[in-house]
Amino acid sequence: MFGYWDALYFVYVFIIGLIIAYLLMKWAERASSGTRREGEGAKIFLSGEDQDRVIPDFEHFRGYFTGRHVMWGLIRGINRMFIAFRREHTGLLGDYVSYLLITIALVLGALIIWG
Amino acid sequence: MNVLPFVIIIPLLGVFSLPLVGLVGKKAREAWALLISGATLGVTSKLLYNVWSTKETLVYTLGAKSPMGQGVGFPVRIVWEVDLLSAIMAFTIAFVAFLAVAYSIEYMRHDTGLEKYYVLILVLELGMLGIVLTGDIFNFYVFLEIMSIASYALVAFRNDTWEGIEAGIKYMFVGSLASSFILLGIALLYGQYGTLTMAYLAEKMAANFTLTAKIALAFLIGGLLFKSGAVPVHMWLADAHPAAPSSISAMLSGLVIKAGGVYVIARIAFSVFGMAVNLRTLGWVIIFFACLTLIVGNAMAVVQTDMKRLLAFSSVGQIGYILLGLGIGLAAYGTKVGEIATAGAIYHTVNHAIMKALLFMVAGAVLHELGTKDLNELSGLAKTMPKTTFAFIVGAAAIIGLPPLNGFASKWLLYESSALFNPFLGAIAIIGTAFCTAAYIRVLYTFLGRPSERVMKAKEPGMAMLLPMFILVGAIILMGLFPWQISKGVMIPAASMLANIKGYVLAVMGGV
Amino acid sequence: MIPFQFITAFLLIFMGVYAFLYKRNLLKLILALDVIDSGIHLLLISFGYRLENNVLPTAPIYTGYETVKAPMVGPLPQALVLTSIVIGVCVLSLAVALTINAYRHYGSLDVNKLRRLRG
Repeated sequence: MFGYWDALYFVYVFIIGLIIAYLLMKWAERASSGTRREGEGAKIFLSGEDQDRVIPDFEHFRGYFTGRHVMWGLIRGINRMFIAFRREHTGLLGDYVSYLLITIALVLGALIIWG
Repeated sequence: MNVLPFVIIIPLLGVFSLPLVGLVGKKAREAWALLISGATLGVTSKLLYNVWSTKETLVYTLGAKSPMGQGVGFPVRIVWEVDLLSAIMAFTIAFVAFLAVAYSIEYMRHDTGLEKYYVLILVLELGMLGIVLTGDIFNFYVFLEIMSIASYALVAFRNDTWEGIEAGIKYMFVGSLASSFILLGIALLYGQYGTLTMAYLAEKMAANFTLTAKIALAFLIGGLLFKSGAVPVHMWLADAHPAAPSSISAMLSGLVIKAGGVYVIARIAFSVFGMAVNLRTLGWVIIFFACLTLIVGNAMAVVQTDMKRLLAFSSVGQIGYILLGLGIGLAAYGTKVGEIATAGAIYHTVNHAIMKALLFMVAGAVLHELGTKDLNELSGLAKTMPKTTFAFIVGAAAIIGLPPLNGFASKWLLYESSALFNPFLGAIAIIGTAFCTAAYIRVLYTFLGRPSERVMKAKEPGMAMLLPMFILVGAIILMGLFPWQISKGVMIPAASMLANIKGYVLAVMGGV
Repeated sequence: MIPFQFITAFLLIFMGVYAFLYKRNLLKLILALDVIDSGIHLLLISFGYRLENNVLPTAPIYTGYETVKAPMVGPLPQALVLTSIVIGVCVLSLAVALTINAYRHYGSLDVNKLRRLRG
């Protein structure tokens, strides 16, 4: 099977992906607040965020689908992971150097024990 | 005629003659830079054709007919050694560098100090070409430093902005430390084995593999992982690549992290240490870092609001795929799975160079026309810049791995081999792609959304910027039409030549 | 027994790395880079040193070396170190240039103040 892909596999994967995406969307739609499908002031669901909410300093962007808005339920769900990743990126030179040393130490340890 | 030395001679000539030609005028300088990089592209394509058609490792000795010393049975001279992987890398470097030079003619028009810019861009190309050609480990260090110094200077090229300076300082200080560790590794190898020729080093190491060599390997791998931007040493990349001018970002993200990082890891792991070290361990070490890189790089791309920073983090994620293929190729050395994984890694290296160069050029076009790269302000760009948006859609679809485009073929090889090697790794690769998709869909939503006022004033960039972008789009679509022909005809032979360690050694040592 | 010049070389390297981790002034970091480089150069140079029969080796740069019957030091490490020194000078001058620019933008040489790029 190396290097050859059956078009059918792709179709299966695509269908399964669609189903998962639909379920995720449903879940996120229910989990988020402020989504109204019909009636007065219908708001389409796009993100977990309330589209009408005024974000400080971004008032003039109200109503546009900006990069900030397009962030859906999946991303909201694992928000804590992103916060942890972003906190690690401190921008301090000392941290960059210590990560380099840690990497070398890891490689060195692995190679000396099992190399 | 042996074309190999001209791959270095032509850019070297260009570098030193460019300031003189620049005295004639601005147009002459640009034309000369374009001519030099075009000639380099021609020579490298001839080199690629020669190596591909004969499937033999080319060896060129500097200053003599044979690398062997007079009266001694071992090589004492500097050799350049080119197998198919080197030739592919050289061709990719020359191709993307040529387009980056063409792109910067319009993109950099408003900047000053352009004679330095064109000299540095050619030095960068020269350094990368030297790295992929050389067969001598100290010569490799010299070219690595040529490349690194040029890229430090180019990251900080816009020294009137704080961003360039801060990124340049971080990149430069930690990068020099990593280079020093690489030099330390080379010094330890020299002290242990008394030679610098990679092939002879491999032969001596196979006979007697000591603890010192292991320590040297750890320093080399650590430093090179830094240069290729693997997690957790990826942070300089995310700072430096967005701060550089966009034509340089295209070269840094597309080429430098591969020529100066991943390629050398492959060369050192296979050709130098391949017969001595426990390849399974080394492979799993690289797979470990590759998995971290895949997840963190792609995930960080999702939460960025700066377009170029998003692309830089996406580069980190894609380096993860390449390292994953390489690691599986090492851990499963000698099997069909390992060969496919290595071929996938090589294929993805080439594809990612083309795709990421295109995406950074698009970001540069947006930045050039609108003066901002903040995604919150770019809503609805498709209305006023449809051609640029089309180029972006093609690049994004290719990097996600949608079937008709080139990214699909390489990613498929990587998924398939990783799933067969260890299903867990395949799952991690898929999760990385999910994050990658999320990041790019986010940009696409912004581009296709409702136009904001600022965007309405924008217009398409000029022909000199659009043409390189559309050449890259054409390359992506063309490579996407013949995925298995390319993979069977070029990439798998390159992987098997890389895995043929004895062949690499014998090409220099002769039939001894 | 490990020769003392190797110990000195590794001490220099460790000193440089220590300074990299704990010093905050950019100029001191530049010096740390130079100290690490010097350590590696010392290591390389001492690889070429051979003491045979308690006769001090001669450097190949020494004029009239053809007549010397004593052992020679390895010439290759010296060539390597010369190349590496040239590279080091390039790195240092670029680092100093960047430091001047950083002072212009940030008004400080404290490397921890240079952290606007994060996240």
